[in-house]
Amino acid sequence: MNRLDRPPTALPRGLGRITSAALGPYQTAVIRIGFSATWLLFLLRELPHRHELYGPQGPWSWELAHRLILDNQAFTALMWTDGRVWFECVYGLAIVSSVLLMLGWRTRTMSVLFMVTALSVLNRSVFVGDGGDNVIHLMAMYLVLTRCGQVWSLDARRAARRARARADGFPEPGHDADGFSEQGHDAGSYPEPGQERGSAAADPDRVGPVLWWILGLSLSLVTFLGHLGWGWALILWTIWSAQGLWWLLGRRAPDSQPRALCDVVGNLLHNAALFVIMVEACLIYATAGWYKIQGSRWQDGTAVYYPLHLDYFSPWPALSQLLSTHGTAIMLITYGTVIVQVAFPFTLFNRRVKNVLLAAMMIEHAVIAVLLGLPFFSLAMIAVDAVFLPTTFLRRIGKRAARARSALSTRTRGVPGQRGSTRTGPGQDEAYGTGAPQAVPSDAEPPPGDPPQVDVSPRS
Amino acid sequence: MDGYEQGRGAGGRPPGPRAGIAALSPPYQVAAALVLAVVALVTCVHLAMVFLHVAPPNTVSKQHGQAVDDWVYPEFEQNWKLFAPNPLQQNVAVEARAKFRTEDGGIRHTEWHGLSAQDGAAIDGNLVPSHTQQNQLRRAWDYYTSTHDTQNRPNGTRGELSEEYLRRIAVLRIGREEPARSTDDFLSVQVRSVTTNVQPPSWSGEKLDPKPVIRLLPWWNVTSQDMEVRDR
Repeated sequence: MNRLDRPPTALPRGLGRITSAALGPYQTAVIRIGFSATWLLFLLRELPHRHELYGPQGPWSWELAHRLILDNQAFTALMWTDGRVWFECVYGLAIVSSVLLMLGWRTRTMSVLFMVTALSVLNRSVFVGDGGDNVIHLMAMYLVLTRCGQVWSLDARRAARRARARADGFPEPGHDADGFSEQGHDAGSYPEPGQERGSAAADPDRVGPVLWWILGLSLSLVTFLGHLGWGWALILWTIWSAQGLWWLLGRRAPDSQPRALCDVVGNLLHNAALFVIMVEACLIYATAGWYKIQGSRWQDGTAVYYPLHLDYFSPWPALSQLLSTHGTAIMLITYGTVIVQVAFPFTLFNRRVKNVLLAAMMIEHAVIAVLLGLPFFSLAMIAVDAVFLPTTFLRRIGKRAARARSALSTRTRGVPGQRGSTRTGPGQDEAYGTGAPQAVPSDAEPPPGDPPQVDVSPRS
Repeated sequence: MDGYEQGRGAGGRPPGPRAGIAALSPPYQVAAALVLAVVALVTCVHLAMVFLHVAPPNTVSKQHGQAVDDWVYPEFEQNWKLFAPNPLQQNVAVEARAKFRTEDGGIRHTEWHGLSAQDGAAIDGNLVPSHTQQNQLRRAWDYYTSTHDTQNRPNGTRGELSEEYLRRIAVLRIGREEPARSTDDFLSVQVRSVTTNVQPPSWSGEKLDPKPVIRLLPWWNVTSQDMEVRDR
């Protein structure tokens, strides 16, 4: 993202950008919401079938999975014991962590639990998955490295409140400006318990440290029982220690150099992971597109006809029949699909063309969801696409969602309209969006227990 | 990626002169530069490995195939060739039948149960098909055929696993349809596939043999362990 074609300032400026900020806060927030929502909906959909798909006595039994995993060494907590209760716990934790990650509550910790539980479920039965599961599997790992709770999260709301409380306590402008720049980072920044940076302003955060201790104890237990391979032990212990370190530095030495270094490291990891996610999306489309070009059916313009006649991918036979009587339409869709998939990575260099193609691909995935009966695959792919949505568009959606939400809460409580109009002011977006304390009107405080989570399902 | 410029960091403020690596004192700048180098290196290696994993076999991936596999498996494995290079052009229907010993000591054969047909019926008109309907049997059959030769001989451990998996699916599904006679002893199951070409569209002028091809697997004895799938 840095532009090397602008010497001599380009390199330092680029370095400054990737070390001083976690880029694309809205994009990372929207994919966080997208992937966790997709996985949550999937887990709820399969709730009645969970034993048959992932349970110890399903067709792919614990014993069969054990023999396969001895060979491929995949990570899954479901192999730690074959107990029924343990299975229910992991599945339950998978649901809970995806809800909380979606809402952005303790985002850093939840992203790790989300990864651990998603990998556990997915690796337990690899032979029931499809492309959608594959996407979730990869993105769950990449999300851990991103500061994906900077906006549209409960963390961001809490950070904004603390900043405001601190600003009230210290009215001098110097303090204010300082809090401004730090606070946003705190919201989704790498390690978590340090939400409470600054000491005097607000009451200390107790949940973060408690969560950290509980997870540390659990991790010790699991390590002691010898369930973790050395690689996973290293990864999980590193994450846990990093959280503790960040909390400690935020408390003891908030303006110190070590803490600034940690912030730089967090930004670097975030930006690298975001870049990997974007390249991964391009690889998905490039692979799908370039392999299709080599297929005779994609060349003769009939490829789309065939899936519509497969029993496993035709939930609406009448619709499929109707569509497949139009040879020219089939040919146009067939060619269009290949062109869009092959072209997409290259269009990233032109904003306008990229946005047009993005809209086309999101629509195509929405159609696939219904026509081929692949809703979770399509949702996951739409979430992947969303990483390329422009910031202005995402902010507009965020504002609209906030407005709709406050209008709704006003109506349900029968409060006269003028209060709602205060809340729909421009400050609203800032409150959740950037954690900027001075932009928040004093009465824009959302009601307690009412999450600011806006459900941004990225629909073109 | 112009869109990202507006999302400058969390504060929504352009990074000032005292931000990022520039704000650090020299020793910390060295540390940050080291981290930057490691992160950049790992990112590049990772992307190269994933690229080689999804690309067709080529000069580089043939030379370094083992390194690529070591990096990518098990957690970064991926396959995006859905419907490519060509979409599947056959309907593969998996069917199964069973042999029971009845209470009076006789042997009872069931009819062929159309397991894939049941899946197809469950998917019809379904906005959110379950993985049990759309993937379980379909992929179990793929797994079986990819780990067995045409004589149904397994190639190693994975072949044996796929056999057991398919047998347990058959026991589970048949059991659901023959629940009444629980006193009967489940002796063995047999699985077959009936593969039918999807006829090319009328405007293409092509015609394919409409006759289905049947692949019959041997009878498999049902073990007491297999029966646990029914006891839930």
